[in-house]
Amino acid sequence: MHLIAFSDNPLGHVVDKAIIGGKNPVFVDTASAVPYLTMHMASLIIAGLVFIIMMLSVAGRIGTGGEGEGNERYLTKGRFAQMIEVIILYMRDKAIHPVLGDHNTKRYLPFLMALFFFILTCNIIGLIPVMDVQYLGRGIMGSEMEWAFFGGTATSNLAVTAALAIICFFVIQIHAFRELGIKGWLGHLTGGAPLYLLPIMLPVEFMGMLIKPSALAVRLFANMVAGHTLMAMLALFGKMAFDGLGVGGLVGISAISIVSAVAIGFLELFVAFLQAFIFMFLTAVFISQMSHHHEDHHEEYEEGLTEYSEVPAT
Amino acid sequence: MLSLLLAASEESPNPLNVDLAPAITALIVFGLVCLVFFTKVWPKIGQGLDDRQAKIRQEIEAAEQAQAEARASMERQQEELAKARAEAHEMISKAKADAEASARDLRERAQHELTELRENASHEIRAAKESAITELHAESAALATAIASRILQREINAQDQQALIDESLKELETARGG
Repeated sequence: MHLIAFSDNPLGHVVDKAIIGGKNPVFVDTASAVPYLTMHMASLIIAGLVFIIMMLSVAGRIGTGGEGEGNERYLTKGRFAQMIEVIILYMRDKAIHPVLGDHNTKRYLPFLMALFFFILTCNIIGLIPVMDVQYLGRGIMGSEMEWAFFGGTATSNLAVTAALAIICFFVIQIHAFRELGIKGWLGHLTGGAPLYLLPIMLPVEFMGMLIKPSALAVRLFANMVAGHTLMAMLALFGKMAFDGLGVGGLVGISAISIVSAVAIGFLELFVAFLQAFIFMFLTAVFISQMSHHHEDHHEEYEEGLTEYSEVPAT
Repeated sequence: MLSLLLAASEESPNPLNVDLAPAITALIVFGLVCLVFFTKVWPKIGQGLDDRQAKIRQEIEAAEQAQAEARASMERQQEELAKARAEAHEMISKAKADAEASARDLRERAQHELTELRENASHEIRAAKESAITELHAESAALATAIASRILQREINAQDQQALIDESLKELETARGG
């Protein structure tokens, strides 16, 4: 692992490092270099490119073709596209629609899917040990030069998750203004409490409004940091054993730490999906909290009387 | 001690350090991602999902309609089959009754013919018997006449009488056998 060469601190694996410019850049040793670029920024750009290329390909495969193709046009081509379609359908029918209802599902499904798949792409790209391979290459070549151009998990950067949460915050608030109006939005801040409680209710609700997206940001960041730190920690055991016990210790401890790291790697893969889902789902929940409450409809849906597919497209 | 801790914390990487540049990059990249997703990706995916859903619904409705038609057709067929079965049953019953009637008729006719034959046979037997008896009477009379004429021709003793009777009986038997 690059940590052996890079740092004895497992957090070194997860924190952002400047590639060009900034403080202690790993690639270009020029603090004033322009443009300023960090590994997480590079990972974000790569994740964005991967997302766009992948989704354009998937869209072509999920989308129905021309009439000339006959019934074949209704088939989704390729396993990957089928998997993405199943995920979208599951999210829509089982997670988002029960929360947002018919109208808002149609409106926010594209945003929520973009959010989910973008975070998922960042999380999964972060699981690929690109940076470690680059450092390994450097070790093999015996080069003194820093070889890491990009890598790391962009979603383990609080600034990145905060930026995504800010977008969600604005989406939630814009939805609230559209749905409730200024008066309704202010009324929502009071929570229906009597006037004498407003001095307490207003700050609490206002803080809640900010804390909700902050919690999204912190949750995603913390989960990514924790998982990667744990994996780095397990990887570091080998070096620590070698330092303390010699080759025997390296072999014995490494065997245990590698097995554990593989197991945690699978857990991380699950967490990558789970955290992307939670971020997206909680955004949907916060949007729904700022909507008119259609109790009858919610009850009707819960009883399974209506289906998403029964709602005409708007 | 505190200075050591501070120095250590300054040197060690801190994931809680928030840098503005990655945040701005995230905003720009996600903005671009959303732009492409909303304009180029989702219209196709959404259209694909809607078309597929409409097609599946259409196929299900068509299948349900075909199933209803098939069910109705099957019911019609079953009704016709039941009718045909009833007709066949009726025909079989009628044929059986006809056959029974015809068999009874044949049996009665055969019985009648048999009775007639039996009566004819008994009549013929009776006639033959009467004829035989008549013939026997005639033969007996002729024999008696012959015996009497022989008796008249010579004087006979007891032995002669017996021999005469035996001879007469023999002649009678010969005459019957011939």
